[in-house]
Amino acid sequence: MTLQIENVIRSVWIWFWCFFGSTVLVPHQGSSSRWTQGRSIKNVEEALEALQAARTGEGGASVTALELLQKEEEFGSIVTFSSRLDEALGGGIPVGKVTEICGAPGVGKTQLCLQLAVDVQVPPCFGGLGGQVIFVDTEGSFQLQRVVDLAGAAVRHCSLLAEDEEQRVAMTTFSVETILSNIFLVRCRDYVELLAELHLLPDFLRDRPKLRLLVVDSVAFPFLRLHDDLSQRTRLLQGLGLQLIATATRHSIAVVITNHMTTRLRGGQSQLVPALGDVWGHAPSIRLLLQWEESRRLASIVKSPGHMDATVQYQITCEGFRDADQSEQLQSKRPRIQTDQ
Amino acid sequence: MSWDRLQLKPQIISAVQRAQLRSAQEVLCVSGPDLQKVTGLSRSDVQDLLHAAAAACRARLPVTALQLQRGECHRLESGLRLGTGCPVLDGLLRGGLPVGGVTELSGESGAGKTQLGLQLSLSVQYPVEHGGLSAGQESTPPAGPPDATGAMYICTEDPFPIKRLQQLISEQRVLRSDVPPSVIGGLRFSDHIYVEHTADLDSLQVCLSRRAPLLLAQGLVRLVVVDSVAALFRSEFQADDWLERNKQLLTFASMLHHLSQEFTTPVLCINQVTDVFNQSSSSVSSSSSSVSPALGLAWANQVTVRLMMQRLQGTVVRGDQSSALRRLEVVFAPHLARGGRDVGVWREGLRGVLDPA
Repeated sequence: MTLQIENVIRSVWIWFWCFFGSTVLVPHQGSSSRWTQGRSIKNVEEALEALQAARTGEGGASVTALELLQKEEEFGSIVTFSSRLDEALGGGIPVGKVTEICGAPGVGKTQLCLQLAVDVQVPPCFGGLGGQVIFVDTEGSFQLQRVVDLAGAAVRHCSLLAEDEEQRVAMTTFSVETILSNIFLVRCRDYVELLAELHLLPDFLRDRPKLRLLVVDSVAFPFLRLHDDLSQRTRLLQGLGLQLIATATRHSIAVVITNHMTTRLRGGQSQLVPALGDVWGHAPSIRLLLQWEESRRLASIVKSPGHMDATVQYQITCEGFRDADQSEQLQSKRPRIQTDQ
Repeated sequence: MSWDRLQLKPQIISAVQRAQLRSAQEVLCVSGPDLQKVTGLSRSDVQDLLHAAAAACRARLPVTALQLQRGECHRLESGLRLGTGCPVLDGLLRGGLPVGGVTELSGESGAGKTQLGLQLSLSVQYPVEHGGLSAGQESTPPAGPPDATGAMYICTEDPFPIKRLQQLISEQRVLRSDVPPSVIGGLRFSDHIYVEHTADLDSLQVCLSRRAPLLLAQGLVRLVVVDSVAALFRSEFQADDWLERNKQLLTFASMLHHLSQEFTTPVLCINQVTDVFNQSSSSVSSSSSSVSPALGLAWANQVTVRLMMQRLQGTVVRGDQSSALRRLEVVFAPHLARGGRDVGVWREGLRGVLDPA
């Protein structure tokens, strides 16, 4: 990156001395001088922009690995309220990275997303981030009734844990109403609205510095309809992936996206793979696969640069996403039970 | 697309028109560097253009969940549910069918799926306070009939069971004992059920893209029932045409979702079942039954709420009627627990049977 800046600086100096004159320095549209018309003035404008950026240190400054490690450690992660999954993930869903949750319909992807939307708001004295969340819903699975259930359970859970004064004070601002007021919902009906929403996200984030989580549920649903023009779909998905990664790192938020499963035929055998193809597989840093095994629900980390592949069992109760019961009773249908805690 | 509406610098607008980009959607589908190449604009101008195009394409601003709970955004979350007419089943569904999204009801033949479809077509005509989706008596003009909204029932395999509908209508007073008889008497049920017979996929597409939006926009219809989804897709495609079938299925599903979201209408799709042979290798579902809903994973991904109706051994008796026992199960739903209720099919309709304590 610095080599590019050097070349740019060199070329700009050459321009200055070869075409000496104030008409070059002033970005003057419509001037009749042949030095300022057409593309040459635009190249100079961009060169000046790059110089400006290098001077102020944004986008071009280099960071040491130690600084990166310190930054990552102070970000923290979002707990999932399933201690085994949090352990496998090293604390929870990491902030500053893109995490993908894929699984068959009904296995619990939306439930995990709703749980994370509530968990990100847990006050810092309880181990949470105390942040806000923006939930982009493309398939109509955001049900307010369920969010209220989860919020109530989280408030009850934390109020039972409150021991010292600081935690008790924090509980006064952690109620179902405040939880609901910190969840921003956007409904996108097709992929164009989804792309538009992500373009406008940086402005939204600038106004809300406490926002720590972006959930897109699901990314696959609007793009599955683009089955006619696969090359356009690949292009759009690549751009979307890069945008999500840039948003996660630049604004230090956790990005959680949901994906469907699809069948792939390989030499006569069919296997279940995440939808949207291999190209999309490069976008998320961490991939969680949720699946059924008879009547048990399993969560596996299938892709992660920082964690070992692991599989844990979880369950969905009326209070939300939790660890599976210690007493493993395999029933044919696992009803949701009211756990008295 | 009149670009002047977007409040951009004139040079940007002229560059966009020269590049023959016709709409904001087209602009959003091209990446930043490609736009720079095509229009010849600088990076900051392209960012302004993308920003303005995105603002034009955005449907509405983000709202908080608290605003939804307070009922401030009716388009996003109306808080309505379509009741089934039986308090036991409404308890299972936490109020009834959700108003946005596609609900699927699958089961073997003779399980009672069409019965539930008919019962919902009648219950939608009641006012909101009695579990339906009709506007209610208060908002009707003083001189004129009550403004009930009905249902659109699309039959794809069997002819519409008109005799059973008449029987259900005549027994509504027995089923809906919670509703005042004057309200039931004032509703002309059969006038508000629009029946369509579609024998092939093309006529189904025409029906959903032309006639359904007309009826929904005029408020004449507030429920769409498709009975059944599987029939047309299974019969019109050979085994190796599955790619084409999936494409048609996705188009059909996106039309249903569009209708549901545009007009805040529940959509009920009745589906057949298929046998499951290799249960141990299935990581897709948890049910241990020997049948699973037809049309595969592609359709399952499009469904918001999946219900299943099964016939069980045994009968249940009530008064002078007896019925084969059935069970209505919630397979998956974003807001419902997995579980089921036993159901009996009576002269007056479906009624849940409370499990003996």
